[in-house]
Amino acid sequence: MRESRTRDPRSTWIRSLPWNFTVDVLSPGDLAKLHDNSLAILDKVGIALGWAPAVDALADTGARVDRDANRVFFPPELIEKQLALAPSSFLLAARDPALDLRIGAGHGYLATDGCVADIIDIDTGTRRRSTKQDLGDITRLADALPQIGFHWQPVSAGDTPNNTRPLHEVQVQFLNTAKHIQQMTVIDGENARGAAEMARIVAGGAEELRRRPLMSNFQCSISPLAWEDGPLEAMAVFAEAGLPVGVCSMPLSCATAPATVAGLLTIANAEILSGIAILETMHPGAPTFYVSYATSMDLNSGALNLGWGPEELFAEMVCTQMARRYGIPSTVGTFGTGSKFPDWQAGVQNALSGFAKVFAPGDMLTAAGSLYGDRAYSLEALVLDAEIFDLLCHFADGYSFDEDHLAFGPISEVGPGGHFLANPHTLANMRESWMSGLFERGTWEDWEEAGRPSPVNGARVRAREILGSHEPLPLPDGLENELAKVIEAQERG
Amino acid sequence: MEEQLQTLRQALMTADVKGAIAATQALMDANADPKTVLEEGLARGMSELGEKWKRGEVFLPEVVASAEIFKQCNEMIEPALIAGGQKEASLKVVMATVKGDLHDLGKNMVGAMMRTAGFEVHDLGKDVPADKIIEVVRDMQPEILGLSALLTTTVGQQQAVIETLKKEGLRDKVKVLVGGAPVTQEWADEIGADGFAPSAPEAVNIAQKLTS
Repeated sequence: MRESRTRDPRSTWIRSLPWNFTVDVLSPGDLAKLHDNSLAILDKVGIALGWAPAVDALADTGARVDRDANRVFFPPELIEKQLALAPSSFLLAARDPALDLRIGAGHGYLATDGCVADIIDIDTGTRRRSTKQDLGDITRLADALPQIGFHWQPVSAGDTPNNTRPLHEVQVQFLNTAKHIQQMTVIDGENARGAAEMARIVAGGAEELRRRPLMSNFQCSISPLAWEDGPLEAMAVFAEAGLPVGVCSMPLSCATAPATVAGLLTIANAEILSGIAILETMHPGAPTFYVSYATSMDLNSGALNLGWGPEELFAEMVCTQMARRYGIPSTVGTFGTGSKFPDWQAGVQNALSGFAKVFAPGDMLTAAGSLYGDRAYSLEALVLDAEIFDLLCHFADGYSFDEDHLAFGPISEVGPGGHFLANPHTLANMRESWMSGLFERGTWEDWEEAGRPSPVNGARVRAREILGSHEPLPLPDGLENELAKVIEAQERG
Repeated sequence: MEEQLQTLRQALMTADVKGAIAATQALMDANADPKTVLEEGLARGMSELGEKWKRGEVFLPEVVASAEIFKQCNEMIEPALIAGGQKEASLKVVMATVKGDLHDLGKNMVGAMMRTAGFEVHDLGKDVPADKIIEVVRDMQPEILGLSALLTTTVGQQQAVIETLKKEGLRDKVKVLVGGAPVTQEWADEIGADGFAPSAPEAVNIAQKLTS
């Protein structure tokens, strides 16, 4: 059944993409080859890994360790065994329990993208460094959009001290949203301890946070086939606090991975499996998720390819299939155009990337609002991406073919040559159809008179309206200060 | 009485045909002033619906449905209005889809929106030959004649009707509005129409301007 569409700016429900039309893009044979190839790499080539607590735990669990070469080799049985420990479902809790997300239950949730250093100023249209205030504003806007299920750190709190910046980001996000926060700028143990402490304060204690994890996290390998100490320590700290920790790989074909899609995905899959094995070895049963951003290099410049094309789409679809095969929730790259402006390129890339996730669904879709390959963030783009997502959700909800919807009665009544315009069946059912609030759909004359606007203009108006009116669920009195104290303590060292 | 009028407006605005007819009948049975029923019940209901439409609270099919009901209820009270000498001349609009064209949805939508704005709409239907249109214009003397065409092959008929109006000496007696997918302001100017609208609500605006 469709939910009635409301435009209530105070988001009290979350729009999700149901897994109703799942299609496997790889044959079972090819999927098995990819799995076997990744396991062979982990077994024979191994992973560069030096963080002692992880290396010791892996050695005790049956991994072969070459400490001089800084290398850990994972036998296939170890990977299979540790993979089986990861739960297939978990909770991403929100300050407002009505906005909790049940991950692994056949629904995809969209996040704000991150973490971008520059923002397109909504008033001037120019690109500038982002601030803590910007992060608060974007978070507050996303808090009001039902299409956004949870938050990344869309922009960096660039005007805060480098060593505690992630904590400033945690603070300003807790102040501006009642939704779940997925922290993705913490990549060291110290900030992980600070962030987990802040989450404990907001949750009301360690046990309460474990029961209702208001924050999650993910950590990234270094392609090809390496783990740094900081991310592993952060992973361990978050897992210790009971927070879900994803394992992410971001290989770049032709650069940090082979040129072929199959080779690129072998690197991604091997790295993710190694990270999950490390996590489950140190914290058996820890909730985790499969995160891949397998992309390609621009062959001319050597930069990240901003022309997301069929290879990226295919890789995204394979990764969700792989995660479904493993029975582990997934995060999959969705939207995140390479274009500098919400234009034709942005529309093509984000619509295709979004539509691919209708058929190759993941649990967490990341994410909305960025431009220029995650190097510029735009409030307008956030609203526009939310609109694309809304359309896709409507499609994925599907359409009823029951007796009433087949409409034999109304068709007989109207008969040949009549019309359905004022028919009671039309009036009763027309609101089930999706209507865009942003597509340009007026007459040419109205469009010219309005100065030839594009949907970007409408998105800007909506963003400003929400920022002018939306008040997030306030934090209980005194908590803001307690969060500040955590930051101060860490700044003092 | 005000309560009954409110019931009528509510039924009309929610396209409740049975409710609207029952409310009109109840008002007539209670010997309500037919002019009040028309102005404070039916016309005000349509005008309020038009406002709701402008705010995006109701959609076009709902306006069309209510306009159909308005017509039925209006026919119920019309004899009493005439008998009481209260039938005032309202602004009349004659509408037709031109000869050769069977597409009349757009015209129906314009007709419905015109009714919400208080025009008395006479719809001649589709595939209407120029002679028939001329005859009605002569007899009924409407303020507005609306000509609709969807096809590039039939849009020329709009010009034919205007030429015939000129020949019959009727061109300055009526304002001619043209509309339909192939119609633009340039075309309207070229064939000497008084107005063109790209959408139903704009047609109402132009009709109001031309008759004010």
